[in-house]
Amino acid sequence: MRNPPALEQLVEALRCLPGVGPKSALRMAYHLLQRDRKGASHLALSLNRALEVVSHCNLCNNFSEQPTCPLCASEKRDASQLCVVEMPTDLMMLEQTQAYQGMYFVLMGRLSPLDGVGPREIHLDKLVKRALDGVVQEVILATNYTVEGEATAHYVSELLKARGLKVSRIARGLPMGGEIEHVDSGTLAQAMMERRNVK
Amino acid sequence: MSISTSRRDQQPVFVLHTYPFKETSLVVELFSRDHGRIAAVAKGARRPRSVMRGMLQSFQPLLGTWSGKNELRNLHSLEWGEGLLLLQGQALMCGFYMNELLLRLLPREDAHETLFDYYAQTLRQLGQIEHNPITLRRFELAMLQEMGYAVPLTHDEDGRAVEAERAYFYIPERGACVVQAKTAQQSGVQLAGKTLLDMARDDYADVQTQQQSKQLMRVLLGHYLGEKPLHTRQLLMDLQQL
Repeated sequence: MRNPPALEQLVEALRCLPGVGPKSALRMAYHLLQRDRKGASHLALSLNRALEVVSHCNLCNNFSEQPTCPLCASEKRDASQLCVVEMPTDLMMLEQTQAYQGMYFVLMGRLSPLDGVGPREIHLDKLVKRALDGVVQEVILATNYTVEGEATAHYVSELLKARGLKVSRIARGLPMGGEIEHVDSGTLAQAMMERRNVK
Repeated sequence: MSISTSRRDQQPVFVLHTYPFKETSLVVELFSRDHGRIAAVAKGARRPRSVMRGMLQSFQPLLGTWSGKNELRNLHSLEWGEGLLLLQGQALMCGFYMNELLLRLLPREDAHETLFDYYAQTLRQLGQIEHNPITLRRFELAMLQEMGYAVPLTHDEDGRAVEAERAYFYIPERGACVVQAKTAQQSGVQLAGKTLLDMARDDYADVQTQQQSKQLMRVLLGHYLGEKPLHTRQLLMDLQQL
């Protein structure tokens, strides 16, 4: 038995979501049409509206409804510091710490040579322009400590240092409350190699 | 019994690359010393509290345990192997380049112990010294030779000893050819006999040898890689344009 064409089309459309294969897509479609038609219509409207009004902030590249997002427009932030993160979730995590009052730049990815993700995909040209606005004094690289994140940090720092900016990288080592006995040996080895002088 | 025979415990491996798989898992391309290149599923490795999550990083010597007979194995555990490697900056890109070459050229399930050891040794060198293109030249040559692609350096295509002072035209699958009008039409690279002899002796001190060996390896790799360009090379070119 074949499903009606409109249902087939919905299943096909749902498959664009990450991690959703044909079976999950069919289950979602059945659920939306059978059990939750109100939710489905809400989803359709929200999706449409988000596509219409959400784009990227012209300063930090994060998602925003305004040309400049509220965080970048805020006068309470320290415009001399610019923190570079991979994803909007990273920005949210850093904001939760309340330890940083500067500005952000969201790459929306990382350099990943083997997946073909290069400088164009992560908006490095936009970052260089942003960092050279004359106000930014220090760029803080808060990309992940994965090999891709490290490679990204390296190339961003090369680009910005060549243009005379001060560049720093967030520290790594033992976590808060970390006990040496239970920490993984990779982290421990890093912490030993990157130890710092006690003031 | 089948489970015990297909299980491999604590094998020396390197992670070449990972891809997202289903909602919380990863497919891991491993380069193992004794079983060659294998693909395995790391179940739940994308969950926040996964033990394997932080370990599935390239360029680290690891010990992997997996089982299964299908092309896609099940990765059960990973442990830190001997010594921690710290690749930084440009060395990381060299590492990605080597991984891309292995992913493109090394067939699955084909053990290459010597190549594995050479790869590990090259990573250690990349972690220690400033960027040195010769390290990559050596790896490229060793890789092709280990995979069974003949790269004759001491004799020309007719079996005569290569002469240092003479100019040769090196053609993939044929080797060094004495420069003639007809050889110039084929895809290959023109170089001095000295370059070939230097490479055979593993002596890259001469600047001309460095330049010509780079051209030679590029042509040879290009021949075996086929049409599709290398991502890492493209990325480096894009970065230079910024």
